[in-house]
Amino acid sequence: MELKSFDQLSSLEIDTLREIGSIGTGNAATALSQMIGKEVRITLPEVRIMGYNEAIEWIGGPEQVTAGVLVGMSGQMSGLMLSVQKLGFINLVLEQMLGNPIEDYHQLDELGKSTLVEVGNIMISTFINALSGLSNISVNLTVPAFAVDMQGAILSVPMAAYGGMSDYLMTIGGNFVCEEEQVPCRLLLSPDLGSLNFLLKKLGVAE
Amino acid sequence: MNDKITVGIADMKMAQGSGILITYALGSCIGLCFHDPRLKLGALLHIMLPLNMETGRKNPMKYADTGIRETLRQMEAKGASKSRIIVKIAGGAKMFEVNGGNLGNIGQRNIESVHLILRKEGLRLAAEDVGGTVARTLLFDVVSGQGCIRSYGRQEVLF
Repeated sequence: MELKSFDQLSSLEIDTLREIGSIGTGNAATALSQMIGKEVRITLPEVRIMGYNEAIEWIGGPEQVTAGVLVGMSGQMSGLMLSVQKLGFINLVLEQMLGNPIEDYHQLDELGKSTLVEVGNIMISTFINALSGLSNISVNLTVPAFAVDMQGAILSVPMAAYGGMSDYLMTIGGNFVCEEEQVPCRLLLSPDLGSLNFLLKKLGVAE
Repeated sequence: MNDKITVGIADMKMAQGSGILITYALGSCIGLCFHDPRLKLGALLHIMLPLNMETGRKNPMKYADTGIRETLRQMEAKGASKSRIIVKIAGGAKMFEVNGGNLGNIGQRNIESVHLILRKEGLRLAAEDVGGTVARTLLFDVVSGQGCIRSYGRQEVLF
């Protein structure tokens, strides 16, 4: 049966997506670990299907400022992938790679921004590569875009992109842990509905 | 500013006599303040997309066209008159500069759609703060009709 909304996913399908999230996030963690030269582990990834306002509470309230790297997917699968980077993550990266952490997002200079874009882009690409290899689906990625603003508005980008199809936002992703501390960075994959159906079919779990 | 009423995404709230309506972090979404000064009646609508093309139309407040019409209907049910209603809008930003892909500029399409529907309904647009690349939090006093916009890295705007 074709899914018409994200809330129709069966538990088998959700388990499969969680596995995709686990492998994708795991690969992204390895990439991050190589870039910053520290061990990075992941927590158990989640598949969440949330109403809009629920999603914003989940990420930690609408007005808190955060950085975001956004990459669009096209080809056999379309959708968006977002890397939400909070200050703790930004400083982990900047400290290790450039040697100058910041106290506030205003202090981000061009070099800092392009470092974050590149780190986000590499983590996202690694995630998508894993997904692509696993499912044998070819995906093209756009050039990454970067923004620093209220996280509610950043999260509304995938909502608005697929809002015409569903009242729910589906995200797949996990958390990173470095030196026993949770790193506030999330990778969120939001495929469109058609692509989600295609992915599940390719993986052999669509009903 | 105590009794604040929060308006979520794809949502509308109305208040009369007293109260501040607030909606957070408008990105490409648009917040619309409707004010009938004589009744001290205000409504704040948070729309996400330009046109309702859903089959079931379960959620009218998600879209500019059905959202504006439904808000008007509810305000008129409380005695408001189209000739007195003043509208102010904020939002419609472009959060990410994405080249290619199928994202398009939803913010711009939202602005155009809101303008069109307001004109069709004969409503007066008194002020707007739209477009650009910043997210906006919109507060609206239902008694005075005063609006206030908070953004990250920008001065507060009163309108």
